[in-house]
Amino acid sequence: MTKDRDVTLTVPAQAQFVDLVRLTLYGIASKMRFTFEEIEDMKVAVSEACNNAVLHAYGGEDGQIEIQFVVGVEELTITVRDNGMSFTAADTKESPSLHGKSIDEIQSGGLGLYLMQALMDRVEVHHNGGTAVVLTKKRMSTEESA
Amino acid sequence: MLSNKFSLRTENREGQTIVFVSGELDLEVASQMRAAMEPLMELSDRRLTLNLRDLKYIDSTGIGILISVVKARHARNAPFDVEHVPNNIRKLFDMTGITPFLAKAE
Repeated sequence: MTKDRDVTLTVPAQAQFVDLVRLTLYGIASKMRFTFEEIEDMKVAVSEACNNAVLHAYGGEDGQIEIQFVVGVEELTITVRDNGMSFTAADTKESPSLHGKSIDEIQSGGLGLYLMQALMDRVEVHHNGGTAVVLTKKRMSTEESA
Repeated sequence: MLSNKFSLRTENREGQTIVFVSGELDLEVASQMRAAMEPLMELSDRRLTLNLRDLKYIDSTGIGILISVVKARHARNAPFDVEHVPNNIRKLFDMTGITPFLAKAE
C-alpha cells in the first residue's frame, strides 16, 4: 500500500531562498534514487519556476511561494505555487532557444520556460488566483521493480 | 545564503582579462555579476575570458548575463570566450543554444 508521501515547503518569494528549494529537492530526489543528472535537471527547472514567482508574482510586495513535492512510485511531481498576480501573456510568451539565430537576434531573457520544458517530462502552468507550475520528472527505471 | 556561495576573481594577463566564476550564478547574485562584468566588457583591446571551472550551477538569469556579454563584446568587435565549462553547465549551454556564441573566435 502506498501512503501519502508529500512534502510541502513554503519560502518567502525572494531570490535568496531559491537555493533552499534546490537543497530540499536534492534531498527528496536522492531518496527516490534519481540519477545525478536527473536531479540536476530538476534543480534547474524548479529554480526557474521559483524565479518566475520571485520576479513576477508579487510586484515587489511580500509574498510566499509554496513548493509541493509529490513522491510517486516512478515519478516526482513538483508544484510551485504563488498567490500573486498571474503572468500576463507577455510574461509567458518567452522566446524560444537561441538555436539557429544570429548574434544580433539573440535576447538575454525568456529562457526559463524553455528550460523547464526541455528538462522535465511534463510542464503545466495553471492560473487560478495566482500561478501554479506543475513539473513532473519520471525516474528512468534501470531495473524491473521487484 | 548556504553553501556553493557565488564569488568572482579577476586575473589580468598580457592582453587578457580572465574572470573566475565560482559557486551558484543565479537570480540572487545576478546584479552582482552584472555590476562586475560591466566595466570589463568595455575593455575592447583585451580578450575577456570567463573561467567556469568552479561554477556549480547557473540558471536562465545567469545565461542571460552571458548573452549580454556576448552581444556587448560583439558590438565592440572585442574578443570574448568561456573556458573550462563543467558538464552539467555545458548541457544547459547546448540546450539553450548559447554554446556557439561562447567559443574562441580568432
